[in-house]
Amino acid sequence: MKTIARVVAVMATAIGPLVNAGADGLKIVTTTSDLAAIASAVAGDKAEVRSICTGREDPHFLQAKPSYIMRARDADLWIRIGLELEIGWEMPVLDGSRNRHIRPGAKGHLDASECVNVLEIPAIPVTRAMGDVHPSGNPHYWLDPFNGRCIAVAIAERLGQLAPADAALFKANAAVFQQSLDERMFGAELVKSEDGGRLWLKVREGTLEKYLSDAGKADKIGGWLGAMRPLRGKKIITYHRSWSYFADRFGLTVAAELEPKPGIPPSPAHLAEVIELAKAQGIGIILQEPFYSRKAADLVADKTGARIVVVTNSVGGEAEAIDYLALMDLIVSRITGTP
Amino acid sequence: MKTALYRLLAAIVLMAPLIGLAADEGTSTNTLEELRQLRLRTEALEKKIVETRPAASSAPTLAAESTAAQKPPLSESAMVRGWRSFQSFNPEISAIVDMFYHADDSADGISHVTEEMSGFGHSHSGEDHHHGETENGFNLRHLELQFSAEVDPYFKGSAIAAVDLDGAEMEEAKIETTCLPYGFAVRGGKFFSDFGYINAQHSHQWDFVDQPLIYQLTLGPHGLNDIGAQLSWLAPTPFYLLAAVEAFQGKNDMIFAYCGEDPLPHHNGPRVGVGWLKFGPDLPGNHGLQAGLFGAMGKDQEAHDGNGDGDSDHWLDGNSMFWGADCVYKYNSPQPHGKGDLTVQGEYFNRRKDLDMIANDLNPALVGNHRIDDQDGYYLQAVYGFCERWRGGLRWEQVGLVNTTKLPDGSREDFGSSYRAGVMIDFTPSEFSRLRVQVNHGGYETAAGREPATEFFLQWMISIGSHGAHKF
Repeated sequence: MKTIARVVAVMATAIGPLVNAGADGLKIVTTTSDLAAIASAVAGDKAEVRSICTGREDPHFLQAKPSYIMRARDADLWIRIGLELEIGWEMPVLDGSRNRHIRPGAKGHLDASECVNVLEIPAIPVTRAMGDVHPSGNPHYWLDPFNGRCIAVAIAERLGQLAPADAALFKANAAVFQQSLDERMFGAELVKSEDGGRLWLKVREGTLEKYLSDAGKADKIGGWLGAMRPLRGKKIITYHRSWSYFADRFGLTVAAELEPKPGIPPSPAHLAEVIELAKAQGIGIILQEPFYSRKAADLVADKTGARIVVVTNSVGGEAEAIDYLALMDLIVSRITGTP
Repeated sequence: MKTALYRLLAAIVLMAPLIGLAADEGTSTNTLEELRQLRLRTEALEKKIVETRPAASSAPTLAAESTAAQKPPLSESAMVRGWRSFQSFNPEISAIVDMFYHADDSADGISHVTEEMSGFGHSHSGEDHHHGETENGFNLRHLELQFSAEVDPYFKGSAIAAVDLDGAEMEEAKIETTCLPYGFAVRGGKFFSDFGYINAQHSHQWDFVDQPLIYQLTLGPHGLNDIGAQLSWLAPTPFYLLAAVEAFQGKNDMIFAYCGEDPLPHHNGPRVGVGWLKFGPDLPGNHGLQAGLFGAMGKDQEAHDGNGDGDSDHWLDGNSMFWGADCVYKYNSPQPHGKGDLTVQGEYFNRRKDLDMIANDLNPALVGNHRIDDQDGYYLQAVYGFCERWRGGLRWEQVGLVNTTKLPDGSREDFGSSYRAGVMIDFTPSEFSRLRVQVNHGGYETAAGREPATEFFLQWMISIGSHGAHKF
């Protein structure tokens, strides 16, 4: 027994340095590119950030391939979207990596859904006859900029625990990220005279318009919120139930999806209903990600005259979406039809 | 000597988690501390609910909201979520129902043909191999009941019960470490050996209805699945390299059979050792590749009834071994519902049985002589998602490229090779159900010459319960 322990100890000391070789800063691995973009902004040059999903793929349908296992093997921090988005491949990657520091429950495992507002948590027991419904809520929460803001703080907090010496820096980086996000959300001019946190509070209370008009600043709303203002209250159609958070934040209503049920491709019967509905309610926008086929949207657009907006919902999904803020910029400009 | 080696191997494999536990003392206290903190946090949150409930109509204080570090107030939905995550302490449970319709044009049924294939067709331990036989008409594979959960911060466990009309059988029951450092992991229990690619896959994961011919002929319908232990190591290399050694009791009645029946000698377990390597380059984008090498060796015994009177009359004892290579390439298309996905996989498998005649009631002069069987085979298959939710696949197989038997009387028999070609199309309505149609055509080398056979399958399978995740 002693001999075996010694052999293992010798092997461990021989291998140990190899494992840590070249690990200067922290290594962060995220499941999606959006989390990677926010993590990069928070970590600055103190960490190397890599994403498993590139932004051009659907994070729900990945294969636990050897390259992913290698990335997880070397990670100090694993950040996931959670809410079962990665359920088909995450555990084989974490198991395969043999990295006990990033397993669920460990300090090196951050589930970003813990720190955000989650929508569409089923109030009744779900069955799979409802399609691919996520029982803990809709996982596409990064499309609400407020959640992006929350994620940055959660990442800074966790990085601070992993590297206490740089905790203040991570906090400062997160604050800078929030500041730029607030400027894009409300317009730089408004954020100059109003605290971003206060504006968000008013947004979440639904009293921003009143608050600003009372302050005589109603015309000062710029940024994404300003650009989206003309679309407030409008109904849209989306391909998948992936735009709920974006729609909710900017006051749009998703009246229907092209998919009859989440994860089930459009059927002719369902599309006929969607066309009826779009005609009856005068719906003018069909919103979908580039990786879905455009056939169904084309059909509905043909019959109703609605405008098809194809835009990625992930960083890296299109050339312009280089980071989180650029992604939101791109989505807002596509939906509003302004280049 | 070899047995002693296997035993040492098993001892090392089994000791490793204990060493890991000892080295991991710090973690356990950490976990306790974390749990305590978690409880404190929960108490604080509960207090907050009580505090905020009556004042829900009044606006939350600005100070609390404007510091961005604040989490959103705990809503009712968040409480629901809390309950749901509590429920996930229960093991994940799922069940798989897998049925198919089968028809073939051979006179005695395809199972009979494959059992009679030259060089492969021995009934080794005197048992009949009814298990896994395909009948014309309806077939129901065993119902797979799966349970899995993290046991504690150190281990995870899973079990699969296979229930069929004849009763229940334990397909897998395994414990795995999650706490070992330096890329090590230890597994124990009853499980599928991870050598090659398809051996560790359950039948519902296969891309074709049936198992590759070479596996069926050399390892049987369950592949190499046995009681034992595995030590594996993920190397800290810039490419993916996973290496493992496994020790098994030796209960596979096709290649590592043990009857212990008089006059055969007694062998202590573990009687089988397996080693394998898997390699994968860090391919960019949506490409994934994994290649492997494997080998195994173990004790093997056979009792035969040469004159057909119902009693064994000659007995063999010795070693069987196999080696081979596997490779799988996957392209994961960015298009939804599997459109454009491509999987190409192939495995080569070579086995040798080297057995000693221990006793022979019919011809005692042969005692002490050897019988050596050399057989091999491979399969190569490709599956492509030609349309959303639809896949098509082709499989080509050959067995017996090497197919010789050196008999105890010194004579040598050379048999020919057999082939099988398969084509399948499947439809996957959701992640939890699949329909598949498949046609096989093969030419099987038997004592009666080459027997052609065409098979038709129509398969329907579903998975209920928790959402599974599959390895590469």
